[in-house]
Amino acid sequence: MFWTIIAANRRKTYMLITLMGFFLMLLGYVIGLSFSPTNDPYAGLAGLGIAFTVWFVMLLFSLYGSEKMILGISGAREVDKQTYPQLYNIVQEMKIASSMPVMPRIYVVNDPSPNAFALGKSPLDSSICVTAGLIAACSRDELQGVIAHEIGHIINRDSMYMIIAATMLGSVLLISDLFVRSLWFGRGSRFGSRSRGAGGGAGAAIVVLSLLLAIFGPILARVLYFSISRKREYLADATSARLTRYPEGLASALEKIRGAPDRLSSAPSMTAPFYIVNPYKQHLGGSPFATHPPLEDRIRILRGMSAGAGYIDYVKSYVGVTKTHKPLIPGSDLKKADHAEIRRPSNEPVDKQDDHAQNLKKAGDIMRAINDYAFIACACGLKIKLPPEFKKDSLACPRCGRAHKVPRPDRNMMAGILATATALSANDTTAKPQAAKDAGNVQVIKRQPGQWQQFACDNCGHTYEISPRFKGNIMRCHSCSTTFRIED
Amino acid sequence: MSTGIIVLIIIGVFLLALILYVIGVFNSLVGLKNLIRNAWAQIEVQLKRRHDLIPNLVETAKGYMTHERGTFEAVTKARAQATGAHTVNDISKAEGRLSEALSQFMVIVENYPELKANQNFLSLQEELTSTENRIAFARQAYNDQVLFFNNKVQMFPSNIIAGMFNYTLAESFELEDQKERVAPKVSFNQ
Repeated sequence: MFWTIIAANRRKTYMLITLMGFFLMLLGYVIGLSFSPTNDPYAGLAGLGIAFTVWFVMLLFSLYGSEKMILGISGAREVDKQTYPQLYNIVQEMKIASSMPVMPRIYVVNDPSPNAFALGKSPLDSSICVTAGLIAACSRDELQGVIAHEIGHIINRDSMYMIIAATMLGSVLLISDLFVRSLWFGRGSRFGSRSRGAGGGAGAAIVVLSLLLAIFGPILARVLYFSISRKREYLADATSARLTRYPEGLASALEKIRGAPDRLSSAPSMTAPFYIVNPYKQHLGGSPFATHPPLEDRIRILRGMSAGAGYIDYVKSYVGVTKTHKPLIPGSDLKKADHAEIRRPSNEPVDKQDDHAQNLKKAGDIMRAINDYAFIACACGLKIKLPPEFKKDSLACPRCGRAHKVPRPDRNMMAGILATATALSANDTTAKPQAAKDAGNVQVIKRQPGQWQQFACDNCGHTYEISPRFKGNIMRCHSCSTTFRIED
Repeated sequence: MSTGIIVLIIIGVFLLALILYVIGVFNSLVGLKNLIRNAWAQIEVQLKRRHDLIPNLVETAKGYMTHERGTFEAVTKARAQATGAHTVNDISKAEGRLSEALSQFMVIVENYPELKANQNFLSLQEELTSTENRIAFARQAYNDQVLFFNNKVQMFPSNIIAGMFNYTLAESFELEDQKERVAPKVSFNQ
C-alpha cells in the first residue's frame, strides 16, 4: 500500500542525490588536478577529499544545527495545546491519520504572509511551522490540508533528502566560487608560467575543464536540486489528499496563498524548498530553476481528483494536467495503492470572502495570544489587548471609560475543561449536575437585571462579562473550573 | 567432490532459504497484527475522548437550550449505549447512532446564537470536531492496516504460513449508516 509508493519515489530521489554527489566529487577531483603543475592524480584525489569534507561538515552542521537556526532566524514560537487548541488538534488528527509514532513540534512564525514548512530528520523527530498569516487566512479544512502536506513531507522523509541535496548544492557553490576567485587573483602568475612550460597543453585543458565545471556546475546542481524538490512537492500534495480524504482543502488553501499579496520576509533563501509554496519568486512557472511546481498545476491536479482521494486518483489527475507520460509513481506500485473515497467538508462555516485587512488583524491577534497578551472585550465593542508587561490589576477602557479587571494569562483553559469532563464521566454514564459541582468551587453571583455585568473568578482572577440577555444560571470558569451560580 | 555432496549442499541451502523465508513472513505477520492492535487502541482512545466530552457539552448547552430536553436525552442515551458496547460490531453500531444524535444536536445548536458565542462552548465544539475527525482518521489508519494484513493472510504464498500459525482475517471497522450521518443543511439567513 501506501508505504511502497514512498519506497518507489525514494529510489528516484536516491538516484538524483547520487548523481549530485558524483558531480560534486568530479568537481573536486578536476579542480584538485588543475592545481597541480604535473596533473598528479593524487592532487585530484586530495581535491576530491576536500570536496567531500566540505560537504560532510556542512551536512553534519545542517543535521544537528539547522533546525534551531532556521527556526531562530524566522523567529518561530513553539505553541502547545493551550495556546492554540485548533492548530494542535489538526496536527494531532494528521498524526493519527498517518500513524506517525510521535507528535511533531508545532511552531508559529510571526509573519502575515501565509506559508508553512516542515523540518526534521525523521518522523520520530520533526517540527511543523506555520505562519500566523496562514492560520488567519485558512478555514479548518484548508489548514488541515496544509498540515497534511507538511506531515507528508515528514513521513516521506523529504527534509532529510532536501538537507543532503541542499548541502551538496552548497558545497558545489562554495567550491566553484572559491576556485574561480583563486583563478582570478592568486593563481594568475602560475597559470601564465605553466602555459609556457612543456606539458602546457594538457595542463591548460584541465584548467579550462575545471573552469567550465566551476561555471556550469552550480547551474547543473541547482537544476538537480530543484528537480528533486519539485517531485517531493507533488508527492506531498498526493499524501495530503490521501490523508485528509479531502483534496479541495489543500487546493483552496493554495489558492488563498497564491492570492496573498505579501511574500515572506523572514525566510533564508536556502530554505525555500522547505516551504509549501516558494516564499520568493513564485511565478517561475515550469522553469528548471523553480523549487516548486507551478501553483496553478498543483491546484488543478487537486481539483481534478473527482473520483477519489487515493494516490491512484492523484496520479490520474497529474497525468491529465501535466500531460506527461512519466508517471509520478511507478505503475507497479500503483496497483497496490488502494482507492479512497472523498469525505464531506466539515460543518464549520467558511467565510468565502478573503479579506486581507481582516486577516492581518487576525494574524496579529494570534501572535499576541501566543505571546501571552491578555484580551479584554469591552461592552462598548472595543477589544483591549494588554502585553504581558502590563502589571496593573485594573484599567479603564480607553473608549468608554468602563473599568475592567485585568485577567491573568489564560493558558490552561482547555486543561480545565478536559479535567472537568473526565471528572464528570468518571461518576456516571449520564451527566449529573451534582458531579459538576463537585468538580470545583462554587461562587455565587447576584444577577443585576437589565445591564451588562462583570465579575471575576475568586479562585483564579479570570474576568467574565455577562450580557443582559443571558438567562442561564450556571457558568463554569474557563481556567480553574470554578462553577458560578448566577442567582436572580 | 561427489555429486551426492553437491546435491546435499543444494538441498541444505534451499531448506535454509525456506526456513529464513518462513521466519520472515511469520515476523511480518506478527508485526502487522501488532500494528492493527495499536491502531485499534488509537480508535478506543479517541472514542473514550468523545464519551468524556459529551457530558460537558450537554452541561454547557443546557443553560441556553431550555426547550430541547428530547435532544439531550437522545445524546445521553446514545452515549450510554456506546460506553456499554464491547464487541467491534456493537461498538460500530452504537457509535454510529451516537454520531447521528450528535449531528442532530449540532444542527439544533444553530438556533441558539448566544450559545454559539459562548467561549466555553466554542472550545468544546472545537474539541468535539477534532475528536470526530480523529475517530475518522484513526478508523482510516486502522482499516488500511487491516487491508494490508488481510492481503498478507490471503495471498499466496504467505497464506500457507498464516494458515500454519492460525492467523485469521481481521475485521475492518465501519461506523454504521454512513449515508445517514450527513447532517441536513439548515440555513437561517436568506
